[in-house]
Amino acid sequence: MTQPFPFDTVLVANRGEIALRILRTARRLGLKGAIVFHAADKGAPAIAAADIAIEIKGPTPVAAFLDGAQIIEAARAAGAGAIHPGYGFLSENAGFARAVAAAGIAFVGPLPEAIDLMGDKVRARKFVADRGFPVAPSAIEDDDPATFAERARQVGAPLLIKPSAGGGGKGMRIVRDLALLDEEIARARSEGQRYFGDGRLYVERFVENPRHIEVQVMGDAHGSVIHLHERECSVQRRFQKIVEETPSPALTADQRTAICETAAGIARAAHYRNAGTVEFIYGDGEFYFLEMNTRLQVEHPVTEEITGLDLVEIQLRVAAGERLPLAQGEVPSNGHAIELRLYAESPARGFVPTTGKVLALDWPAGPGIRIDSGIAKGQAVTTAFDPMLAKLIVHGATRAEAIARARAALADLVLLGCETNAAFLDRLLADEVFAGGAVHTGTLDARPDLAAEPAPTPDEIRRLLAAATLSLRPTRDAADRIPALHAAIGAWRN
Amino acid sequence: MRHLLLIDEAEAEAGLAPAGDGLYTLLVGAETIPVSLAGKILTVNGKAERIAVAVDGDTVFVHLNGKAHRIDYREPLARFARGAAGGGADAIAAPMPGAVVAVNVMAGDTVAAGQVMMVIESMKLETAIKAPRDAVIEAVHVAAGKTFNKGAALIALVPAETA
Repeated sequence: MTQPFPFDTVLVANRGEIALRILRTARRLGLKGAIVFHAADKGAPAIAAADIAIEIKGPTPVAAFLDGAQIIEAARAAGAGAIHPGYGFLSENAGFARAVAAAGIAFVGPLPEAIDLMGDKVRARKFVADRGFPVAPSAIEDDDPATFAERARQVGAPLLIKPSAGGGGKGMRIVRDLALLDEEIARARSEGQRYFGDGRLYVERFVENPRHIEVQVMGDAHGSVIHLHERECSVQRRFQKIVEETPSPALTADQRTAICETAAGIARAAHYRNAGTVEFIYGDGEFYFLEMNTRLQVEHPVTEEITGLDLVEIQLRVAAGERLPLAQGEVPSNGHAIELRLYAESPARGFVPTTGKVLALDWPAGPGIRIDSGIAKGQAVTTAFDPMLAKLIVHGATRAEAIARARAALADLVLLGCETNAAFLDRLLADEVFAGGAVHTGTLDARPDLAAEPAPTPDEIRRLLAAATLSLRPTRDAADRIPALHAAIGAWRN
Repeated sequence: MRHLLLIDEAEAEAGLAPAGDGLYTLLVGAETIPVSLAGKILTVNGKAERIAVAVDGDTVFVHLNGKAHRIDYREPLARFARGAAGGGADAIAAPMPGAVVAVNVMAGDTVAAGQVMMVIESMKLETAIKAPRDAVIEAVHVAAGKTFNKGAALIALVPAETA
């Protein structure tokens, strides 16, 4: 049973597409939407969509959104009884969650304790392993240097040796034959010493061609926790997700049940409240806990498409103290959904962020197409924030139908004035590796051919030259200075 | 007159001539192709299709066949041709995208070879744009503080004796 909300205004401590998306739900529920904004976003649709918009300032636009005190002050000024942090910025900052609660405002997210626990990756992993959930087998030298080699052997092959002090992939060695373990450990130790001045090591099971599969969970303040199925997020470039879908094409029905129930079990053990995502590494039929994100994720719309639920609504109701609106057995799963992230970037130039001005904008529309965007025609695209412009979400009865719908939507998407990755997304969807559902997290980085922009055909060049010369002032003016008769004679004489 | 255009940074040449009744002829290589653009309908050789076009100064963005393209207008070829004929005319084009830091000359000024005409900043580096030879400034296309794209015309020169 839903009750009236104990607050009448929600402040969104975010920007762009997610701010607009949260405001939309708040308004639908009869709540007033307030927003904080930075001058760099002037003209953004999210600001216009809010009932109350309060400017925040900082040494940089991003710094303004990281200034918790200023945001709480804005919430007070707006009369907001709840703050939704969106994703990024302060969404996983336990200190901010505590400060919001101390100000007597509801934080639309988990308890600070859960953010602390899951924010510390080593602690989170130990918490999960201690409760019998699967984590990748590992051995830390510091735990007991005398038995390290033996414990490393027990991890089993293939395994990855990492310097404890390491980072950036330096000094890492993959061991596929345990007979070579001792000499590889010796090599890794001397490399660690050379790179980091520290030879201590750490060993973990290496998953060949891993997939990134995550599970959406939701908990309430009354002890109930459910999962809302998994999402496949293996299409990544340098750890940045680009395409997400659900259901995962990699899982059997039994594996799907196992991974989803494991995620719900981990959240339950952490007395988790509100929306969260448990991420797993999956390969060779095995899955291991990677980390838990204690916020709403960018890719939450694919879950909404197959369940028919509004995750932000559930977040707001849970934050207001209500029970989850449904039990685990009542969570629907219909069809297949895919999300494409539209970035202001140049795939052909190594994916560098691009800038410009949105001169023309026409979103695709139709059954099974959803656009979550934060941009409008006339808006400047700058590098002040993250380069994501919008998310294109499609839903179909089957995966093949969803892919076909996504490609048709991309062809209809008109965004002129700033280079985007739209054509790259289409090449990706058309690629047989993606169509066959066989993508792993390393696929994209190993396929620079997908980033290359094919040159226009001679026929396309003629049409582009026609469109350009007829539209550009200098070429049009030059033509208009020639009397038509004279031109006709000139052409005839040639 | 033939024009130099950059299609997604690749050079192409084309001319446009009127054919009466709002119709035009596109001149590409030795071809003459009837073309027209009415609203969003582009007709090339009798084949009509819906496109989207957005003009921004000397740049036009075209959505064609489900893809966005960028076409930049460059100086008329006649000017380059005159230069090639030994006249020494020149158009200074931006070597890379950037912003104008300072403009030291204006149209009509006489410059000596090596003289700094403009300072641009690109990739966090300042670059001085120097006169390639003794010349007269015909036009300065960008003002201080403005940004430009690769290939954009910055300054047009004419040989000193023709000015």
